[in-house]
Amino acid sequence: MAIFAVYVVVNLSLNMEFGYTGIPNFGKVLAVGGGAFVAAAVPGRIFAGMAGIEGDYIRDNIAVVSGVNAWLVDNTGIGFAVFFMTLGLAAAAGAGLGLITSYPVIRLRGDYLAITLLAFGESIRVVGNNFSPLVGGTLGVQVPDPLSFLPGEVRFPVATIGLVAIAACVYVYSERTMRSPLGRMLRAVRDDEVAAGALGKDTIRIRTRVIMVSAALAAIGGALYAFYAGGVIAFAYDRASWTFWPFLMILIGGLANNKGVLVGTLIFVTLRKVIIFHKDSLAPAVPFDVAWLDFLLLGVILLVVLLYRPQGIMVEKPTPTIPHGRGPLRSGARRAFDLLFR
Amino acid sequence: MAGILSVSRVAKHFGGIVVLDGIDMEVGRGSIHQLIGPNGSGKTTLVNVITGLVRPDGGTITFDGTDITGMDLYETHEEGLVRTWQIPKPFRSLTVIENLLIPASNPGESFQNAPLKSRWRDGEQEAIDGALAVADTVGLAEKIDTRSMELSGGQMKLLELGRAMMSGAAMILMDEPIAGVNPTLAHEILEKVTEICKAQGITFLIIEHRLDISLRYVDGVFAIDKGVVIAEGGPDEVVNHPGVVESYLGA
Ligand SMILES: Nc1ncnc2c1ncn2[C@@H]1O[C@H](COP(=O)(O)OP(=O)(O)OP(=O)(O)O)[C@@H](O)[C@H]1O
Ligand SMILES: [Mg+2]
Repeated sequence: MAIFAVYVVVNLSLNMEFGYTGIPNFGKVLAVGGGAFVAAAVPGRIFAGMAGIEGDYIRDNIAVVSGVNAWLVDNTGIGFAVFFMTLGLAAAAGAGLGLITSYPVIRLRGDYLAITLLAFGESIRVVGNNFSPLVGGTLGVQVPDPLSFLPGEVRFPVATIGLVAIAACVYVYSERTMRSPLGRMLRAVRDDEVAAGALGKDTIRIRTRVIMVSAALAAIGGALYAFYAGGVIAFAYDRASWTFWPFLMILIGGLANNKGVLVGTLIFVTLRKVIIFHKDSLAPAVPFDVAWLDFLLLGVILLVVLLYRPQGIMVEKPTPTIPHGRGPLRSGARRAFDLLFR
Repeated sequence: MAGILSVSRVAKHFGGIVVLDGIDMEVGRGSIHQLIGPNGSGKTTLVNVITGLVRPDGGTITFDGTDITGMDLYETHEEGLVRTWQIPKPFRSLTVIENLLIPASNPGESFQNAPLKSRWRDGEQEAIDGALAVADTVGLAEKIDTRSMELSGGQMKLLELGRAMMSGAAMILMDEPIAGVNPTLAHEILEKVTEICKAQGITFLIIEHRLDISLRYVDGVFAIDKGVVIAEGGPDEVVNHPGVVESYLGA
């Protein structure tokens, strides 16, 4: 459920970028990793400074962070303040990375753009692995837990509830933003950039903004994941987990439909969980290493969706901003039906 | 007749091919002018250059007293120029009314305001009222909730006109608005253009090959061939011009 919440945040951000605006950001992991790295590098050092804990943050990481967590038991308020500040900082870092990403996006098209963005995405892992002051290189670092004051057995459920609440806020934000004149304009830019330009839209500025906002959201997702996992290690921020899977999830769910994002994410996360959970019992039944099973199965799902329902489970539909007041009014039952099934 | 658009010695080449070879033209405010010329003579390219889709290699373009040479597409729109497309370019997944609402710039189009409905509701309501009126004018009232990709070719041309009207532009450049449209609808479209021109004082420059239908609606004609203006003046004068007869109406 917590993983679901993190992916909802990342996928909503990708949907804004790709589903609504048509920017195929194959370097999504860049912003996610950037956010996670902020969470790994910043709050621990702040806490350690405040608590007066000695030791090199990277070399003595485990000792320092356990000291910090012990200190946080009595400093809950500061813990939360720094937690939210970190999310803000991650968002700012994400926006910065988005600005960098926008350079190729407004200059390149098609295959060239895809390859460039893919390379951008790879860079975050390489930097994390090789520049150890940031996130401890190949050894990784621990991330302090602002919920340290809670007894061990309730900490996890509370963290999950918190994550789901934050994801819900991001959902409401995305939904409201996309059901506005802005959402309409983004779909217009996606459908025909030149025509939008001829009708007065500065499409370069619009695309840059979208990339920055969506990178900020993705970075928040990455930071949340880092706090939830309690640690960051660079190699976990790979293109499969944070670029391809998000694409898969929004393709399954339906592009340019935020409800579809929820459905696609839920299906995907549940399936993976089932596969991982039953790996051992499946081992005798498959003629190859079960580790490959989840990749295979996910590939098959993508194929099935693309072949039989290329528009995804939930199709994109017109999203009127406010009713224009003409035409047949829909009955309440019809509206409920539409809400649930369209 | 005060010129609203003046084009002076505008040139454009693609690689070695000279497409516009020093175009001069002056379009009077509130008039309807037609631009004719054989296929490939550079008509669409001229509109592309005027509106900033492609940059000219030489010459100047002045619109309403402002030098707009080399401006971007969206900037010429801000100056009051809008164009339609030879091959319609609807926003395919948007409904007709959504298409009409795109040119109306709205405070809700920024990330700061978008999530807060109260900041853009009034502007949006006004734009919707305007769009409904335009839909009535161009005869798409029945189709407001239809996705534009489901429209017929003729309806897409009407949508092009509607979007241009919604821009609040002072001048509309139309690239073959009645090509491929049945004669009845073609007359209707040009009648609407005349109406809009008279009622709102909007200037039109219309690229059109179908002289039999269009000539009676226009105040003046420019004929171009191989990137230069070879004749201009009243419709009768231009179609009887020997150069035009030879290159265009030809044998
Ligand atoms: N972007 C471009 N790159 C290269 N050549 C171009 C480009 N745009 C136009 N041309 C060439 O310029 C010439 C003029 O084209 P243009 O579309 O302006 O003609 P036109 O008068 O609109 O013709 P039609 O009546 O067929 O629409 C053609 O030879 C065309 O191939
Ligand atoms: Mg043309």
